[in-house]
Amino acid sequence: MVSYEGNLYFPTYSAFHPGTEFGLDYQYETNYRELKQKFQEEGTGNWVLMPPVTFNPYENSAQDNIFRPRAPSIENGHYLGTDTTSRDILSRLIYGTRIALWFALAFTLSVYLIGIIIGCAMGYFGGIFDLLFQRFIEIWSNIPFLYMVIIVFSVVPSGLPTSARIMILLSVMVLFSWTSMTYYMRTETYREKSRDYVSAARIMGASTGRIIFKHILPNAMSTLITFVPFTIIAAITAITALDFLGFGLPPPTPSLGELLKQGTSSLRTAPWIVISAFGTLVMILTLITFVGEAIRESFDPKKFTIYE
Amino acid sequence: MRNNEVMTKKICFAFAIFLAITGCSRLEDENSKSEAIDNTEEVDNYYLERPEFFSFKTLEDLPADLKWTSGDDLSEIGSEKAKKGGTEYRRLQDFPRTLRTVGPDSNGSFRPLLNDYVTISLAGTHPDEFDFYPGLATSWAIDRDSKTVFVRLDPNAYWSDGHPVTTEDFFFMFFFYQSEYIVAPWYNNWYGTQYSNITRYDDHTFSISVPTDKPDMASRILGLRPVPRHYYYDLADNFTEYYQWKFPPTTSAYTLDTEKDLQKGRSIKLRRNQDWWAKEKKHFRYRFNADTISFNVIRDSSKYFETFRRGEIDLFDLTLSEDWYEKLPNDAPEVLKGYIQKTVFYNQHPRPTYGLWINTNQKFLDNKSIRVGIQHASNWKLVIENFFRGDYQRMQTSSDGYGEFSNKNIRSREFNLDKAQAAFSDAGFKKRGSDGILINGEGDRLSFTVSTGYERFKDILTILKEEAAKAGLELIIETLDGTAGWKKVQEKKHEIHFLAFAVGLEMYPRFWETYHSENAFDKAFLDDGNVNPDRKVKTQTNNLELFAVPEMDRMIDSYRESSDKDEIQEYSEKKITAV
Repeated sequence: MVSYEGNLYFPTYSAFHPGTEFGLDYQYETNYRELKQKFQEEGTGNWVLMPPVTFNPYENSAQDNIFRPRAPSIENGHYLGTDTTSRDILSRLIYGTRIALWFALAFTLSVYLIGIIIGCAMGYFGGIFDLLFQRFIEIWSNIPFLYMVIIVFSVVPSGLPTSARIMILLSVMVLFSWTSMTYYMRTETYREKSRDYVSAARIMGASTGRIIFKHILPNAMSTLITFVPFTIIAAITAITALDFLGFGLPPPTPSLGELLKQGTSSLRTAPWIVISAFGTLVMILTLITFVGEAIRESFDPKKFTIYE
Repeated sequence: MRNNEVMTKKICFAFAIFLAITGCSRLEDENSKSEAIDNTEEVDNYYLERPEFFSFKTLEDLPADLKWTSGDDLSEIGSEKAKKGGTEYRRLQDFPRTLRTVGPDSNGSFRPLLNDYVTISLAGTHPDEFDFYPGLATSWAIDRDSKTVFVRLDPNAYWSDGHPVTTEDFFFMFFFYQSEYIVAPWYNNWYGTQYSNITRYDDHTFSISVPTDKPDMASRILGLRPVPRHYYYDLADNFTEYYQWKFPPTTSAYTLDTEKDLQKGRSIKLRRNQDWWAKEKKHFRYRFNADTISFNVIRDSSKYFETFRRGEIDLFDLTLSEDWYEKLPNDAPEVLKGYIQKTVFYNQHPRPTYGLWINTNQKFLDNKSIRVGIQHASNWKLVIENFFRGDYQRMQTSSDGYGEFSNKNIRSREFNLDKAQAAFSDAGFKKRGSDGILINGEGDRLSFTVSTGYERFKDILTILKEEAAKAGLELIIETLDGTAGWKKVQEKKHEIHFLAFAVGLEMYPRFWETYHSENAFDKAFLDDGNVNPDRKVKTQTNNLELFAVPEMDRMIDSYRESSDKDEIQEYSEKKITAV
C-alpha cells in the first residue's frame, strides 16, 4: 500500500504502476522497497506499507550481486532463503501454492460437474445408454493421461500466454480424469432409483431433472463429499509432478514442482530449497485431508440421521 | 475342457500369425539387402561425364618440380607416458537421431565427437606449431600456381574392415557429397563449388584443386576425409533411411559395432581397433588411449553432475558458477583427495556463438528497430557479472576469436532501457499496457518466445526476461530438450532461440552458412533484385535468422571466391559490421 501525495495506491491488487507515477525516473514497475526508503529519507508524509515478504516471486534480489542460493535469514528478509537465481523462496511458494490451489479447485469442480451429470444419467436412464457409455468410459479411462499431457504440450504453440497454457493443462487433465467420478455416481443413482421415494416422486409426476437433482443427488452427496479432498490432493500432486518433470507450467511461473526440482539438483549445497518446498507440499496435503475429514463428518449419516 | 481347447487353439493361431508377421518383416529385410543396388556403373559414369572435375592420369604426368613435404620433423603429439587401456565414460545429453554424419538430423552435437574418434584427414593441423602433420597422407606438395595440392597416401592406411585406403575413396568422396541421395544441400554446395578437380595418378597418388587460391587452401584440401567406396556400393535414394543406424568402416582408432555397441536411446560404445594401421605411427601412437569410450545418455544435468561426482563419468564441464563455486568447491573432499581435478585453461580458438538468434521472418521481428530494441533490452552484463560471477566475457560479434579477421571496433549493443524504448517506439510500440508490456496502436503486445534446447541455461533466460520486462518487452521462455530444440530451429519455427554453434579451428570465419540468402529461402530474390513474394523458408540450414540481404550475398560470394588475404580480411570486417 502506497500513500503518495494524498492518493492511496494498492500495487499488489492493481495493474502496473511505472516508477514515474511516484516521482521516480524510470518507466518500469516501481521497486517499492526502494520507494519506501526514498519516502523515509524525504520525510514529506508519503509512505509505503510493505507486506511481510517484500520480494516478488520473479525478482532476482541478491544482496552481494551474485545470483546464488542463500540460506534463510531474518535479517535480509528472505525467511526461507533464495533459490539458484536469488529469488525469494517464500514468495515463490506462496504464489506457487496459490496457483496450485486454484488449479486444483477448478479441476475438482469441472471433474465433478462432468462426472455427476454423466454418472447420474447413466444410472438413471440405464439400458443402452448406460451400456454404451460404460464401454466408452472403459476405453477412455485407459488412455494414459501423463503421455497425453506430454503429447499435447509438444504441439501447443509456445507463444501462448501462461494463463492459456494453464487452461490447456487443466482441460487436458479434466478430459482424462472425469471418468472415475462416473462409477460412483452411477451406482449411487442406481441404488437410489429403486427406492420407494423415487417411485413416489415419479407417480406424483416429477420431471426427470427434478428427480435427479432434488431427490437423488442430495442422497448421493455424502459419497461425493468423501472424494473431494482426494481429488484435490490428486490434482495438486499431478501438477507438482508435471512441473517437476518439466511438462507443467512454463518457466518462470512459480510452482512447487519447479522448486522441488531445483532443490533436488542442489540438495547438498542448498537443502533449504527442497525442505521448504517439500514441507509446504506435505502441509497443504495434510490440511486438505483434515478439512475433507471435517466436511465428511458433518455429512455423516450415523451422526445426524435419526431413525424413528 | 472343450472351451479350454478352443482357447488354446485360438492362442496358438494368434501366435502363429504373430510369428508370421514378424518373420515376414525379417524376410523382407533380407530381400531388400539381397536385391541391393550396385552403383559401380553409375559412379564410373558420373566421373566420365565430368572430365573437368574427375581426371585420370598416370605417374608420368606428375609434375617433376614439386616440393614434397611430410611434416615429419614436427614435435610428437601426446606424451609417451600415456597408458593404453580402460574405459572412458562420457555423457550424451540426448541420443543422436542418426549415426549418419550427413543428411537430415545428422547435424547434432554428436557428429563432431564421432568425427574426432573415427576419421582421420589427409593431414592434421599441429596443435603447437600451426603446420601440418601427416595423417592418411605420407607427403604432400602444395602448388599455389595451379591451386592444387598433390598427395601421396600412406600405403599402410586401411579401413577398419581391412580394405586399403586408396585414391578411389577420395574420388568417391566427391561423388558422395555431391550426390542428391544424401539429402544434404550444404555438402552438395560445398563439395560442388569449393573444389574444382581431383586427378588420379595411381592408387596412392592424387591431386585436388580448388577454384581460388585461398590463404587456407592447403588446409581445405588436407583436411578432407575419405568416404569408403567399397562400403557405399549400394548408395541410392534410400540412403537416409537405410544408413540411419549403420556405421561405416573407419580410418581412425575407434570403431562401432552396431550390433553390440549401440543401445538405442541409452548408450553408444566406441571400441579401439586393436589392429589399427596407425597405432605405431608418429603423432598417433600416444593418443586414442582408452580401449573403450562409452557414451551414456543422461538427460538431466543435475543427475549428470551427481554421476560425475560418484565417478561414473570421467569428465564434466563446470560451466555454471554454481557448480564451480558451490557444488564442487576447491575444498570438496573429492577434490582434496585428488579424485577430481579442477582446471581452468585457455586456448586460442574461436568461441562458440552463444546468443539469441532472432528469426527475422516472424511478425514484428522483421522490423530492425524491434531487433535493436531487443538487443538493448537484453541485460547480458547482469547475467555475466551476477550469475556467472564475472567468469565469462561477452562476445562482441558473431565471429570473435579470428585474430586479424575479426573486427575489433564493433561493440555489441549494451543494455540500455532508454535506447530500447526509443527503438521500440520507432516501431510503433509507444504505450505500456496494464501489465507494463508495450503495446502498439493496433493493441499488439510486444511479446516473443525465447526457446532453448539448453535446459541448464534456463536461469539465464529468466534473468533476461525480468530485465526485458523493464523495457516493456515480454519474453516467454520455452525450454525444450536438446533434440527438440534443434529440430525447432532447423525447421525455422522459432521466434528467438538461444543456442551456440560449435566453431571449427579455421583461419577466418564462415558467413555463407548463417547469413547467405540461399540458406534462408528458396530463391529469395527475383532476377531484378526485388524480394520474391512467393519465396519459401528453407529448412535444415544454419541461417537461423533467415537473414537475406542481396548486398550481403554479393559480399559473401566474393569473400568465398577471394584469394587475397587482405581482401578476405576486409570483407570479413565489413560483413561483421553489416551483421
